[in-house]
Amino acid sequence: MNPYESHPARILEVKDLTPREKLFTLRFLDEELNEEFTFRPGQFVIVDVPGFGEFPISLCSSPTRSPIQLCIRKAGRMTKFIHGMKEGSVVGIRGPYGNGFPMEDMEGSNLILVAGGLGMAPLRSVLWYALDTGKYEHVWLFYGTKAYEDILFRDEILHLLKHGSAMNCTVKLAYEIESPSCIYLEQGFSDRVCRGVVTDLFRGENFDVENSYALICGPPIMYRFVIRELLNRKLSPGRIYMTLERRMRCGVGKCGHCVVGTSVSMKYICQDGPVFTYWDALSTRGLI
Amino acid sequence: MRYVKLPSGNFEDFFNSLKGIGQIYGPVKEGKTHHFRRVEEAGEMDLKYTRTMLPPKKFFVRPRERLFSLEDGWWRKDGDGKPFVLFGVHSCDVHALKILDRVYLSEPVDPYYAERRKSAFIVGISCLPDELCFCKSLGTHFAMDGFDLFLHELPDGWLVRIGSVRGHEVVWENARLFDEVSDEDIANFKAFEEKRAEAFKRELRSEGLADTLDLAYNSPVWKEYAEKCLACGNCNLVCPTCRCYEVCDRWVDAYRAVRERRYDSCFMESHGLVAGGHNFRPTRLDRFRHRYYCKSYFDPSAGFNCVGCGRCDEFCPAGIEHVKVLDEIRGSLE
Repeated sequence: MNPYESHPARILEVKDLTPREKLFTLRFLDEELNEEFTFRPGQFVIVDVPGFGEFPISLCSSPTRSPIQLCIRKAGRMTKFIHGMKEGSVVGIRGPYGNGFPMEDMEGSNLILVAGGLGMAPLRSVLWYALDTGKYEHVWLFYGTKAYEDILFRDEILHLLKHGSAMNCTVKLAYEIESPSCIYLEQGFSDRVCRGVVTDLFRGENFDVENSYALICGPPIMYRFVIRELLNRKLSPGRIYMTLERRMRCGVGKCGHCVVGTSVSMKYICQDGPVFTYWDALSTRGLI
Repeated sequence: MRYVKLPSGNFEDFFNSLKGIGQIYGPVKEGKTHHFRRVEEAGEMDLKYTRTMLPPKKFFVRPRERLFSLEDGWWRKDGDGKPFVLFGVHSCDVHALKILDRVYLSEPVDPYYAERRKSAFIVGISCLPDELCFCKSLGTHFAMDGFDLFLHELPDGWLVRIGSVRGHEVVWENARLFDEVSDEDIANFKAFEEKRAEAFKRELRSEGLADTLDLAYNSPVWKEYAEKCLACGNCNLVCPTCRCYEVCDRWVDAYRAVRERRYDSCFMESHGLVAGGHNFRPTRLDRFRHRYYCKSYFDPSAGFNCVGCGRCDEFCPAGIEHVKVLDEIRGSLE
């Protein structure tokens, strides 16, 4: 088997999420592969546009649901190209790669999902997995976004804001730029929507730290503040999971672009990660 | 290990017998440096060389290679599996190939590398160190496996160590060229190895190196050298264990495209760049330190990622010396 060979998949649906992000729903041409393909929340795939190149993207759908979905931000040449692709087009997919979140180990516990911006994409996979399986005590989602227009999966988030409690799920939203929509939202959910940064959302929440796990994904700057907040609440570094971004070219630990660390501990983000605990970050320099 | 003797007079016949396996590549002197080149006659090779510019990795991880070709809208795998002989590989380079094996042959196996590794017949050769070699400090000055045949120089021929079934078969098929090893040969072999062990001038203090470097993360020595470094990436290209690659799709004409991979260097600014322009190793200091950490990474089961061949020193235009950098870093901590 050639690990660099991608499998053709048809784009079933392209949906605008924000001005910068689109949601792609894909299905492999090979029916058998559709049956077999499964993954863990937090894993990623490499998207292949033959003749243009490849790029890594987190799976943002849940393994409990099919077909697979990818949330792609227009950030460079490749992603700009795929944003121009229409329903019915065929791209290549290889993977899934990486370790993913240890969902089995966390069963029966509380999950505190902390997302910043595009970090919502991989955590959406965890969120839906947790809600679909119902194997987790309570799920919090703290989501920090820039403006109302930038809220990824806005319909789903608003739905959970309204009806989340019935599913043991608390969604909280922090926004930076004020707009009429945000103010309206804040008036409706004054206890869960506020202007500020994602760490502001921790206020007023008490977690049973012995029985909780935190799962973080967001821009590099966010980790420091969120982790400080969690450590202040005495959450163990081994219970803080985060998913990281690097230049994952091959996805299989050969090309060397995603290597971090020093002479005592070197990690391939694509194989050893992209999910790491805060303890991993303490023992591997350059991880965050 | 099985040992036989190849008398000097039979060397050329032995070389010619290897042509049955495939094309032979050996060390050839061009100008001031040596290169592994295609050779037809034994006489074209210079076996008393110290190091080639590009290491044997170029036969397995190509400077530029085609992975796929785009045909009728989808990819077709490329690759070549022609058998070939790599003649005159030094012990450090044999060790370097073992390090590459650990990466490329671990799951999932890289099929391009695996194919070439399987097609290669490796004949090692003994050498004498120059002032840049420090393989002895890293334990890579003698290869116990990773070759098919290994030739050790004797006054009247070669002591041949047989390292694989295929090596054994070649010796078996050409039995008339080989003699049994005598006590005198063993004494000569021992004398050569002792002379060689004493010839090393450079030494790397490898004990506790990984931890020492990690503790010296903020050492001013890194900065000093990073300023001197030209960030040209020469050291990456000539290093027998550097293996970072970049992949790109290239259109051959309006209808055909190929997906290629080529050597990349961690000294290039693009190496740690991700979508959106964020760079995880933005400064030359970050990149300089990263390479040293990578080379000095210690895997308890396999040792360091450096084999002490001295290529990075010889081909560094800024004259930066690997061992000296590490010694100074260590010194800055003591």
